[in-house]
Amino acid sequence: MNLRRYNIYFHTHTISGIIICALLYVIFFAGSFSFFRDEISAWQKSSSYEANREVVKRDYNFLLDSLSGSYNLKGRDFSFYLKRNSFGTYVDMSTSNDTTVSKKPEVKKEGRRRGRGREKNEDSAYFTYDFAKRQTSDYTQSYDMGEFLYRLHFLAQLNQVPINIGTPFGYLVAGLVSFLFLFALITGLFLHWDKIKSNFFTFRPWNKWKTVWTDIHTALGVIGFPFQFMFAVTGVVLIVNFILLTPYSKILYKGDEAKIYQDLAYNDASTFAYTYKPLNKDFDLTRFVTDVENRWSGAEVSRVLVKNYQDENMHVIVEAKPSPKENFAGSGKLVYRVKDGKIVSEKSANTESSYIDHIKALVYHLHFGDFGGKPIRVIYFVLGVMGCVVIISGILIWLLARDKNNVPAYKRKFNFWTANIFMAVCLSMLPVTAFTFIMLKVLDNPMQSDIYHWYFYSWLVLSLYFIARRSIALTNKQSVFLSIVLCMLVPIANGIFGGNWIWVSFQADAFDILTIDILFILLSLTSLFVYLKIRKKQDKK
Amino acid sequence: MMSFHLCLTFVFPKENVIATSFITGYILWAFLLLWAFVAENVWKVWLTYIVLSLLLLTPLLFNLSS
Repeated sequence: MNLRRYNIYFHTHTISGIIICALLYVIFFAGSFSFFRDEISAWQKSSSYEANREVVKRDYNFLLDSLSGSYNLKGRDFSFYLKRNSFGTYVDMSTSNDTTVSKKPEVKKEGRRRGRGREKNEDSAYFTYDFAKRQTSDYTQSYDMGEFLYRLHFLAQLNQVPINIGTPFGYLVAGLVSFLFLFALITGLFLHWDKIKSNFFTFRPWNKWKTVWTDIHTALGVIGFPFQFMFAVTGVVLIVNFILLTPYSKILYKGDEAKIYQDLAYNDASTFAYTYKPLNKDFDLTRFVTDVENRWSGAEVSRVLVKNYQDENMHVIVEAKPSPKENFAGSGKLVYRVKDGKIVSEKSANTESSYIDHIKALVYHLHFGDFGGKPIRVIYFVLGVMGCVVIISGILIWLLARDKNNVPAYKRKFNFWTANIFMAVCLSMLPVTAFTFIMLKVLDNPMQSDIYHWYFYSWLVLSLYFIARRSIALTNKQSVFLSIVLCMLVPIANGIFGGNWIWVSFQADAFDILTIDILFILLSLTSLFVYLKIRKKQDKK
Repeated sequence: MMSFHLCLTFVFPKENVIATSFITGYILWAFLLLWAFVAENVWKVWLTYIVLSLLLLTPLLFNLSS
């Protein structure tokens, strides 16, 4: 490779890397934990899905009955979005299609859109429902740590920043970061291309620091490359795909965005006419959904839509995702007319899958790592943490390469402060996460605002402390020490405040709760190992 | 990148091309960005990109007018 190209790759890699590193670390760290999102929810709520899977039944009839106590349900549309590996569901209830029942929608109040909360007039409702506890709660009450980390990994919390650019600010930043990440990966690969074979097994841990960081960066970078490349691409697709879809819909669909989403099977815009004639028939929704589930063996129902409730033209649409073992790509959809019990259309989850299903399944399954059970997610977690290590070592190389005598003092000062701040923010994340997990158990019934406060304020305080101490070695050592203590306290807090000691969870078959406890014990032990290594190194000096 | 995939829509069903471009589009885009850095002469890159876009868009422009 000629020197000019090498330099170009080198500089584009360095610049794109240092711009995104801190945010990318947050994305990787929170994202790695999000593989265990459902387990974290079960852990926080002390309600195990795995232990009760066979016992709890999703009883839609009961839910509709209890809703009819406070609403007139006639003529409404219902959408149930079932959460995976959980008994929870989001319920979206529209106003009635029957104009004699529905109240006139009031004038919309101007308000900021927040996350999934939507502006609705009073007669419609959007809430979550727990089939196990038979409780409804609004979004902020049911918000949990799993949701928090999941949303943090695409920077949803940044959406609150009042910068109006027509699209949620946090998502756009996350999309930009992940596109630059893709760019940095490609330039990094080219940069390292000539040495990729010769240096594959090179690791010189007893050399000077810069070589150690470089070796870590390239070795883990090369091993993790396919994994990270896949995440960069699928990440862009999942978060900012409107960048592609908007021009496509303008040119190919003459600006009709609903049509493009329908063609890509993201959304179902079909409407069913309201007849104003009552339905003279009892309908058992619970049984119906169970029947559909049995029809496609192994498939998991993801959405249940009820149109024109109790009208003669009432329809039920059930959508399901096949189990990845039966059919990797695919989506089932069944439209059922209640009046005469006829199946209007059916696309089986297990046998038919279109080309679009294949692409979408590829993107989703690869990104979420949900195709091979827990072992795959553990591997994903480890590879994700490896990504964090690559980022950290990248920052350190960047600093050490510029920490020379021929660099002017003001530049060195700036470089040090950049690295200092980035390291403080990044390394304090693990202890802060463990700390928030403990607080979840200490607090009684924590809500969205509690999680926000405890997580972000403790992160701020710890970062400021580390920044103020102005020593990267100290940041490293103390954050590792805090991680040992706090991670170990997580399962203990779960035992003391929730009664879920490890052996209790084990006996109750609550493996999802157990997973989180064991995860933190392992993190604590890893930190301990790192800490002892640091001590040993210091003693030598 | 856009024009390349738009051109493909005349050969293949458009929704399939759109779905494919979710993956190929962004990778191609990143490489086009990189090439702008690597190239010796930036004006040449500009020229190539513009000519390529127009060339690939010809079927589309033609189609709209007819």
